[in-house]
Amino acid sequence: MNRRVLIAIAVLALAGALAFAARPHETTADERVDQITTELRCPVCQGLSVKDSTSETARQMRDLVAQRVREAKTNAEIEAEFRAAYGDWIFLSPPLASWTGLVWLVPVAALAAGLALVTGRLRSGGVPQPSAPTTTEVAALRERVAREEAAEG
Amino acid sequence: MSAGDLGAAALRAALFLSLWGTGAAIYAAWRRDARVLASARVAAGFAFGLVVIAALSMMFALATHDFSILYVAENNARETPLFYSIIGLWAALEGSILLWTAILAGATAFIAFRGTLAIPRLATTALAVMFAMLTFFLLLITTPAADPFARLAVAPENGNGPNALLQTHPLMPLPPPLLYLGYVLTSVPFAYAIASLILGEGGDRWLVATRRFALISWALLGVGIVAGAWWSYAVLGWGGYWAWDPVENAAIMPWLTSTAYLHSVMVEEKRSLLRSWNLALVVATFALTILGTFLTRSGVVNSVHSFSLSAIGPILLGYLVAILVLSIGLLLWRSARLRDAGPIGTPLSREAIFLFQNVLFMAATLTVLLGTLYPLVAEAISGAQLSIGGPYFDRVEIPVALALLFLMGIGPQLPWHGASRATLERQFTAPIVAAAFGALAALITGTTALPAVLTYALGAFVLATVVQEFARGVRARRTLHGEGGVAAFANLFRRSGRRYGGYVVHIGIVLVALAVATSQARTVDAERTLAPGDSLDVAGYTIRLEAIRPVSEPQRDSIVADLAISGNGASEHLRPALVQYPNSAAAVGSPGIGAGLRDDLYTILAAYDQRTFSWATIRTRVIPGVSWLWLGGAVVGIGAIIAALPAPRRRVVRMPVAEVAVSAK
Repeated sequence: MNRRVLIAIAVLALAGALAFAARPHETTADERVDQITTELRCPVCQGLSVKDSTSETARQMRDLVAQRVREAKTNAEIEAEFRAAYGDWIFLSPPLASWTGLVWLVPVAALAAGLALVTGRLRSGGVPQPSAPTTTEVAALRERVAREEAAEG
Repeated sequence: MSAGDLGAAALRAALFLSLWGTGAAIYAAWRRDARVLASARVAAGFAFGLVVIAALSMMFALATHDFSILYVAENNARETPLFYSIIGLWAALEGSILLWTAILAGATAFIAFRGTLAIPRLATTALAVMFAMLTFFLLLITTPAADPFARLAVAPENGNGPNALLQTHPLMPLPPPLLYLGYVLTSVPFAYAIASLILGEGGDRWLVATRRFALISWALLGVGIVAGAWWSYAVLGWGGYWAWDPVENAAIMPWLTSTAYLHSVMVEEKRSLLRSWNLALVVATFALTILGTFLTRSGVVNSVHSFSLSAIGPILLGYLVAILVLSIGLLLWRSARLRDAGPIGTPLSREAIFLFQNVLFMAATLTVLLGTLYPLVAEAISGAQLSIGGPYFDRVEIPVALALLFLMGIGPQLPWHGASRATLERQFTAPIVAAAFGALAALITGTTALPAVLTYALGAFVLATVVQEFARGVRARRTLHGEGGVAAFANLFRRSGRRYGGYVVHIGIVLVALAVATSQARTVDAERTLAPGDSLDVAGYTIRLEAIRPVSEPQRDSIVADLAISGNGASEHLRPALVQYPNSAAAVGSPGIGAGLRDDLYTILAAYDQRTFSWATIRTRVIPGVSWLWLGGAVVGIGAIIAALPAPRRRVVRMPVAEVAVSAK
């Protein structure tokens, strides 16, 4: 088969699979409890989430979240209840809005700056044509071969 | 003379030798004096021997329960089994620093005897740097701040015993020495880099001399991290292997920068570009190992792995600052000599991919650093309490990791300088088809979360590129050398170990990525309170509580739940327990794990009826694919060994210019 046809079919299949995975779908009550408890810090543990912790406190918090989900509260309402009780500290992922937004901004800014820096140093235009090496390049190559063999020996 | 006296004396003698060695190495490098260098060599050898004697004395004191030594009294008890007594050497701060110093002394001796033969001046300067660092650590452990042999005026009848978490599992002794070896060996490339800067050598001799050290330290860190994840999984009892805990973060940061270095170094070797960048990466890797030690060993951050508060925090911080000031100063001073000539390559060249990869690794490292430090800084400045944990790191690091996985598939397939359209089509048809099959495989096996489907697609993409590379290499050897298939395959590793070992490492990383994606996407939890005879169903398993009973051992008391497991082809017994050590306030959970290639059944005894043993609350977690993580770690280690093995010597064949041009392509 023609390579390009094959690539086109594969890309379509891949896109289809990813679109299927990304489709919006109803979350079950259990999934919602998991979503919310993953974000909550177990107050008596060292950095573990309420979902993961085996402590009694975490178990009670899981039960409370499950009860709120049964009461048809939204995720935002449930989170607001925990924020009112504990403050932002209870969330393992700091809010984007306030000054804690820096922890989100800095990695993104660093990534953008780094990519810009690298892109600026790349050669633009077509592929360089392979040319015969100059004598200095050959000399450098010879020296390198000799040196690496000496180093490995 | 007791073992404690012997150890303390050995350390003081080693400190004296190390001071001598520092001065001698500096003088020998400056004056190119072979006799003084010989004395530095002898000093390095004896200093190493003496620190080993000190470490062995400590092991002996622990094994014989010599409670007149404070460290033994705090970390050992008469009931501690021999095995856990001996490994008590690295169960707490002072002993760990002793082990660290012993490894550093070993590396110093290695450079003194082997390194100085190949490139005398550079290696002698590097030896001076190593000796200076060794002197610092010897000073540290001979001062009260971290003296492992500090005495007690009156020896207590019995000691406190080791930290409860550190004696529940025979795996405990594995991760710390691996990580310490990895940490300490990063100091060798660092010493050579500093030496190269001091001498003003613009070339890449330091890099050729240390690339095997860089690779080995990287591999030890990587395997140590996976071993640590395994330890957390098997011991901490919450059903996970990674919690973005400060100690885990401290270990992964130098591993990330070191991975970036191992790749960008190839750009310098092939194209003589990125000189100052590679030096900066080596410095960053080394500084991050010290930062990690400072963070986790000084009580600045709390962690399940960290030891108690100690006075060495400020000393380590001073050391870190000194290293950074020295390194950055030297880099700036020599920056004119390190300037690169010309642009790098087109965006679709191998060197460009390495650079993009470097940017991603730097962003990943910065995120871990920021997430670990930010809560501390925020609390110090404004008093605000803030949590940064798993969900934050996952949100930032998962997209970065997926992008890296993508580049891991692309980079090795692109030629240096740039690729043509025909090359792209030839190299990427099979991998793209494989990616489509990978995504479909994820959906069919029930892994439907988007990040996991992407991981499967990219994993298949990378695996296909690796298979393609091996197939091409074998075909080339068969045609060129007339070798049989198996011989050609084996010779790829023997002759081009660095390249093909690297591909094996990539397979290991894909396995780790698949394990993480699968376990994150499809873990199922269940929890129920059972009376003996009752059972609980989860993800096809039936878990029946047969009995709950107390078990007494000399060093601990346990409550054990006997669980009979059936379903999914399993038929076994698991025994999660709650273990009470005399020196620990709370009982420690010890999980019962039924491991399998498809999934692990992780069981925890969460609570029980303390009077009549008539019920127990059993928490279970079915974690698919987690075994691939340990497998992936092992594959990474094997690949690194292949890459680090020296290639057999080739006969030197002088080629005419035209042939050089062809073979260099």
